[in-house]
Amino acid sequence: MSGALEVHGVSRNFGGLMALCDVTFTVKEGEIFGLIGPNGAGKTTLFNVITGLIPPTSGQVRLRGRALTGMQPHRIAAHGVARTFQNVRLFKGLSALENVKVAQHCRTRCGLVSGILGTRSNRAQERRVEGKAREILELIGLGDRADDEAAQLPYGDQRRLEIGRALALEPSVLLLDEPAAGMNASEKRKLTQFIREIAARFKLTVLLIEHHVPLVMDLCDRIAVLNFGELIDVGPPAEVRTNPTVIEAYLGCE
Amino acid sequence: MGQFFENNGFLLVTLVQQALLALSLYFPMMAGQLSLASPGFYAIGGYIAAIVGTHDYFAPWRDALGAWIFPLEWLLAALVSALLALAVGIPALRLRGIYLALATIAFVEILRVLSLNLEITGGAIGIFGIPQLFEARFAYMLIFAPLLAATLLFGHRLERSRIGRAFRAIREDELAADAMGVQTTRYKVLAFAIGAVLAGVVGAMSAPFLNTWNARQGTFDASIAYLAYVLIGGSRSVWGPVFGGMLLSALPELLRPLKDSRLIINGLVLVLVSVYLPQGISGACSRLLGFSSKRPSGSGELKEGA
Amino acid sequence: MSSVQLFQNLLNGISIGSVYAIFALGYTLVFSILGIINFAHGAIFTLGAYLTYTLAVGQFGINGLLAGVALPWQLPFALSLLIGAVLSGLVGLLVERLAFRPLRNRGGDPLLALVSSLGVALVLVLVNAIQYLVGAEIYTFPSGVYGDLPPAIVLRISGQPVVIRTVQAIIFLVCLLILAAVGYLVRFTRFGKALRAVAENPATASLLGISVDRFILGTFFLSGFLGGVAGALVGTSFGVAGPYFGVTYGLKGLAVIVLGGLGSIPGAVLGGVVIGLSEAFVPADYGAYKEAVAFAFLFVVLLLRPQGILGRKQLQKV
Repeated sequence: MSGALEVHGVSRNFGGLMALCDVTFTVKEGEIFGLIGPNGAGKTTLFNVITGLIPPTSGQVRLRGRALTGMQPHRIAAHGVARTFQNVRLFKGLSALENVKVAQHCRTRCGLVSGILGTRSNRAQERRVEGKAREILELIGLGDRADDEAAQLPYGDQRRLEIGRALALEPSVLLLDEPAAGMNASEKRKLTQFIREIAARFKLTVLLIEHHVPLVMDLCDRIAVLNFGELIDVGPPAEVRTNPTVIEAYLGCE
Repeated sequence: MGQFFENNGFLLVTLVQQALLALSLYFPMMAGQLSLASPGFYAIGGYIAAIVGTHDYFAPWRDALGAWIFPLEWLLAALVSALLALAVGIPALRLRGIYLALATIAFVEILRVLSLNLEITGGAIGIFGIPQLFEARFAYMLIFAPLLAATLLFGHRLERSRIGRAFRAIREDELAADAMGVQTTRYKVLAFAIGAVLAGVVGAMSAPFLNTWNARQGTFDASIAYLAYVLIGGSRSVWGPVFGGMLLSALPELLRPLKDSRLIINGLVLVLVSVYLPQGISGACSRLLGFSSKRPSGSGELKEGA
Repeated sequence: MSSVQLFQNLLNGISIGSVYAIFALGYTLVFSILGIINFAHGAIFTLGAYLTYTLAVGQFGINGLLAGVALPWQLPFALSLLIGAVLSGLVGLLVERLAFRPLRNRGGDPLLALVSSLGVALVLVLVNAIQYLVGAEIYTFPSGVYGDLPPAIVLRISGQPVVIRTVQAIIFLVCLLILAAVGYLVRFTRFGKALRAVAENPATASLLGISVDRFILGTFFLSGFLGGVAGALVGTSFGVAGPYFGVTYGLKGLAVIVLGGLGSIPGAVLGGVVIGLSEAFVPADYGAYKEAVAFAFLFVVLLLRPQGILGRKQLQKV
């Protein structure tokens, strides 16, 4: 299997605070890859670097050989890297359906003029976009709540909607930032199953930040462990869980 | 009936004009941008029309084109506004929202000072004796009303289009929109340019209507007024600014008995609405009447979570 | 430019620049703790000018509700300035209490448009109230307002006269005093430390046990005070040119804080002086363009270096 996503020597300095320090690992094509570590270890910062929201102080991120570093976030998204956020960042005032439609923006082309004139190609596009959005909503179980305002949805539905929105981008790499936060045990199980399903169905490479260690151990093919911005181990769950440095870093966590 | 239109022609056309200027603020706002630049583009549009209408250089054009000089003025105003909007917008819109507001304030002030001092704009006196398209004030409704209708149709279509969705996504959460593949800078500039072109065209139409044009047409005060229109009328739909624009320009007339305190009342109303009715009157109405297209989700659901 | 002209320009520049600095400080204080620009600041500036005039001169013109009224008092200038500034500070409190706090309590996205427009609306209200009461004509302070001080000091540099208007000297002294006081306040008092803490991170402030609401009130008072002082100083220097004269200063103040760096106190001072000096050095032939200097700065700074000279680049939390 080739490397889908390569993180190479990525460092990020915030005015003296070393949030990430020379992080290097490769996520293989089709893997479900976990990223764990205590709070403040730099996991979300790494996501932000990968998706272009902040530039690294040094180092590179490559998607199947193509350098992503330095690209605008929307271009990285167009190349097939989608994400969810630690604190859900839906388009609150838009409906669930519209949230999913927005993510299809870079997969569609009709511009201002055809939109205003209502040309045939525009109408066809809108039908396709609507159809696809409804499909995704069905997939995540929000089919009957398509017109509900995103801000009014229950928390769990919001998290699923965010995943659905990311799927609408037709990504090849999916970054999930603590998708199970705030969920109870049975919901976590359903989520795990769901992630496996969509990874298989859409041929996704998944990179997952998660605090709930059992979930990560269960779901992921390989795991990377960050502590204070440094990568302290990478490997299959069985190996990583027995690494003494990892255990030490995690004293006090689930 | 005819007498009513004759006597109130000026006011009626002004209502439509103000509604249009409110809309020029609305389009950038659709993409979450607070632009206070409309008075600047309005002034430029008016100056273009005034100069083309009165300056010797354009005399041969006027003779050749006759009444068609007016649509040409509108077209020129639109072009110049679009170009200027790109020139100003592309650098300025890379910044956070408040910086754009400040940059547009600066833009308007610089234009104002320039127009007060350049010869071609007539200095402090401005340009007067601008050729008329129509005799009666009310006849100008023939150009303003169709423009309003066209703009409303445009806005309505825009909201439902892919571009409109992009605008609204940017408005809701620019960062998330970027992460979801929306080219945020490009669309912010587009929204800004649409507003600018509208203001410019309105300016070009207004110069003949008002007969004179000077630096007082493009001041910071005007931006405040337009902002008031949108806030009071509601910023969530195309109709809000129209309603707000017409109401607030009619209000001083209706409140004539309270002559001197009417401006105070205007200001107070704006404060109260900003604090207590953030969606504006039309927003409040649509909530009351349940016209909102999105229903809140079933209240029987318990919040999931540990 | 001869050395005399140079000196004169420097003088004028620093004089007006220090007033800009004081005024801009009012903006900066509010911005550094709330992240918003209080557009009503220009109105408080105007109010300060009118209040000080009322207390020091007490004679109204022919327009407005109070036409022809001559008040029975005439306070010494220093006292009028002080009282006028305190009253302006109180108005600042009022503005916060009535207008900004309800919006803050609503929470969430600062609703930038609403907040700014709110301030602007207040400008309209206050300004029009002034117009209603005392009309729109220009009120100038009579030359005797400073008591027995001469109207100007004339120095001679290489035989040429350099005029230092007394009012300019007073402005300079007042500004120095105020800057020293504010500097002390910010660096050494509890209030100042709290100010810096909240400016760094508003969330932690309440954790530190600072009563955020009262603290914000205090900041608005100080901001209004400074605005009032600036208005009074400009009023004595150039006359109170109608109720809208604060609007231009209000806008220029924005240029000052952007140039100096939004949220930076030394930045406000630096920005004020830079713009003041730049305006003073505009050649006489282009005098009309003086007004555009500040806005040209604003525009250019925003394009090239939006964080200004001393501001820090804002990193957005994701």
